[in-house]
Amino acid sequence: MLEAARDADASVATAAVGSTGHVGLEPLVTATLDGETAFFSECSPGRARSVTEALDGGTLPSEDAVAVVEHEPGAATLPVPDEGPLAVGERGVLGSCGWAVPGSIEDYRAGAGSLPTDLELADALSRLRESGLRGRGRGDASADAPVADEWTTASEAAGDPVVVVNANEADDRAAGDDLLLEGAPLSVLDPALTAAEALGASDVVAYLSEDADLARERVRAAADALVEARDPEASLRVVVGPDEYKAGEPTMALEAIEGNHRLEARRRPPGPSEYGLNGRPTLVHTPRTLAQVGRVLAGVDPGGVPADPGTRLFTVAGDVAAPATVELSTGATLSDALPAVEPEGSRKAACVGGVFGGVTRSLDVPASAPGLESARLGTNGAVELVGESTCMVALAGERAKFAREENCGRCGPCREGSKQLVDLLRDVYDGEFADGMLRELGRTMRETSLCGFGSDAARPVTTTIDVFETEFHAHADGRCPSGTCTKL
Amino acid sequence: MSTDPIWEDTTTGADVPLTEDIAPGTANDPPAGSTEAATLTVDGQTVEASVGSTLLDACEAVETDGDVLALCSYDDEEQIGPRSECRTCMVETEEHGVVPSCSFPVEDDMTVSTDTESASEARDVNLDLILSNHNLLCTTCGANGRCDLQDVAIENDVEEPRYGVLHDRSQLEPIDDSSPFIQIDRNKCILCNRCVEACNDVQVEGVLRMEESGGETRIGFQNDADTMMDSTCVSCGHCATVCPTGALVEQGLVDATTLPVPGFTHKNSAEGIVGEDYERQRTQMTPMKREGDTRNEPRVSRPEPAATAEDDWL
Repeated sequence: MLEAARDADASVATAAVGSTGHVGLEPLVTATLDGETAFFSECSPGRARSVTEALDGGTLPSEDAVAVVEHEPGAATLPVPDEGPLAVGERGVLGSCGWAVPGSIEDYRAGAGSLPTDLELADALSRLRESGLRGRGRGDASADAPVADEWTTASEAAGDPVVVVNANEADDRAAGDDLLLEGAPLSVLDPALTAAEALGASDVVAYLSEDADLARERVRAAADALVEARDPEASLRVVVGPDEYKAGEPTMALEAIEGNHRLEARRRPPGPSEYGLNGRPTLVHTPRTLAQVGRVLAGVDPGGVPADPGTRLFTVAGDVAAPATVELSTGATLSDALPAVEPEGSRKAACVGGVFGGVTRSLDVPASAPGLESARLGTNGAVELVGESTCMVALAGERAKFAREENCGRCGPCREGSKQLVDLLRDVYDGEFADGMLRELGRTMRETSLCGFGSDAARPVTTTIDVFETEFHAHADGRCPSGTCTKL
Repeated sequence: MSTDPIWEDTTTGADVPLTEDIAPGTANDPPAGSTEAATLTVDGQTVEASVGSTLLDACEAVETDGDVLALCSYDDEEQIGPRSECRTCMVETEEHGVVPSCSFPVEDDMTVSTDTESASEARDVNLDLILSNHNLLCTTCGANGRCDLQDVAIENDVEEPRYGVLHDRSQLEPIDDSSPFIQIDRNKCILCNRCVEACNDVQVEGVLRMEESGGETRIGFQNDADTMMDSTCVSCGHCATVCPTGALVEQGLVDATTLPVPGFTHKNSAEGIVGEDYERQRTQMTPMKREGDTRNEPRVSRPEPAATAEDDWL
């Protein structure tokens, strides 16, 4: 696309930026002239060329544009149309995604997220404490818990601290981290470096999946630019781990970075903030958390509800024409994200929280961590819409099977529990629905597993039983209400 | 310290840990135990716990209301564990909810209950989960009567494990009978990891490791061998000493405590046996270890294995 625009041989500045989060609009081309931007979705190379030529000729083409937005000339963040998918939610941490050049220090500093570079630890801690910010994503060692607590523990622990950006999320239902790293890597790396400086560590490790080629390329370039601009002495390493779900668990991330022979979750307490990478006090944050940290440290009012301030990124996927990642205030509800996608068929349910999310019929659930938790849903930022043709028992079974196959094998409740979970679900197909046993097993896995993998693994099963109990009974009676389980 | 180069030479590499090349396949766990002494309450009784204590230490100091099984925990915690894998040591605390007592550090003013509904349920379910992956033919097992799993199952009044036991012979892994000294029956293994730590952290031999993941997780060998005899084992026997079940048993003890039921033996409890090619192996060191590590002919001939041991395993 960029080639096509450049081939137009026009004196128009072109740049490859990251995604806006709206996959269905891509390839998306924006053309800007004098404080006016036109959006062209599903743009062909030919159209990109003609748009460039028009700009070169001094006019902003608007024919077949999905939106034309007026804004301040030189706007640092994506101008947002009044309606359409791009108007869904708000664009705080996503502000420069799809707009700014990913590795450009100038573009980044022009944005709202620029950080003071001489932040004292006490000042950083008090800003985080006052904000009440919580960690985001399952890969964050302070997921749903106050970030300030994690920083305080790390700052008080003995040893040389280190900051790990845990961006290895193999569950593509939750695309928020990759979106930030591909579109606005500096908004993640700059707060990571600030955290390292505040803690007295000059060491930051960005941990990505080995398959995240674009993110790795952009993080590497952004890291080089940032180190050069901020502190040539700083160390900002990029390390990759396997593209496996378990490899995103915070302690397995540390094991992967250390190069351990086989990934296994670490026993805790103490957690990574006391005993992390090579035994050092370690902050393990996801890109989503660090982007929020950056805004708080830059003095931006995070907004949202006091119990979980800021915004959260939700990727709406599943039975939709194309997934979309949107940013919602924690004061919004999940259903506010729905206009961003085109559903395929009528919706029967949603699985919220990724592969081990919770199943719900209603999306009128607060987009905050406490709101999601009280609805027994996951907080990792994935909203998977489930259409009428999906069998909920089969969905629960698939998730249990995934847990059985992908767990690290360390602790009994997860390794053996996921095996029994699959067997008990198979028994449903044989006519026996032992719901009491399933619930008891689910409870035990949740409460006694060694890491988040096992704690979450039974959630799709237990929440599906709660919401779709009749479907389980129907299967035990030899009937699949959605007609998809043919082996009954 | 002298500046003599000889002295300097002798210190070269002193910082390199002996375990540097060892690949145990297990996580780099944090230290367990508290950093401070603490006074806490266990089932209403006050316990003074010293630095380095876990909740299990505190529970063991008093008579608890519930049986804290702590199956995978090992008494000598200098180099082995706590790994906290079986999760049969769960207790309920007012401060942190249900936690594994074997590795949870004591904290001042903590209130611990061992017999709450959720703690008891957690221990019961987790014990049954361990049993679900265990060949429960105790009477033919070499560890019959000296098995931690058997002990805790009896202590916990397990009569019929809720998830059943491993009994389909076609699902059982072949028994590794290749070594004249240690027999491995992975169908008895609860993956507590004690043997891996004894081998790597205590003996510093680097033979055993944890390998695979999920339901395939198993004890394997660091040199990728399929059998004990192809491994770099030196037959020190420490793994068998720390094994809580009949997964690793000294060959001389394989039939020591089994009940004499005609036709039923440990070897025919599983469908297959591997390593019979090595039946006549007489040295303590496996060929792999001997060839890999011994540069010169040994000056002292190794003792022959005791005749009784040989008779027993043939």
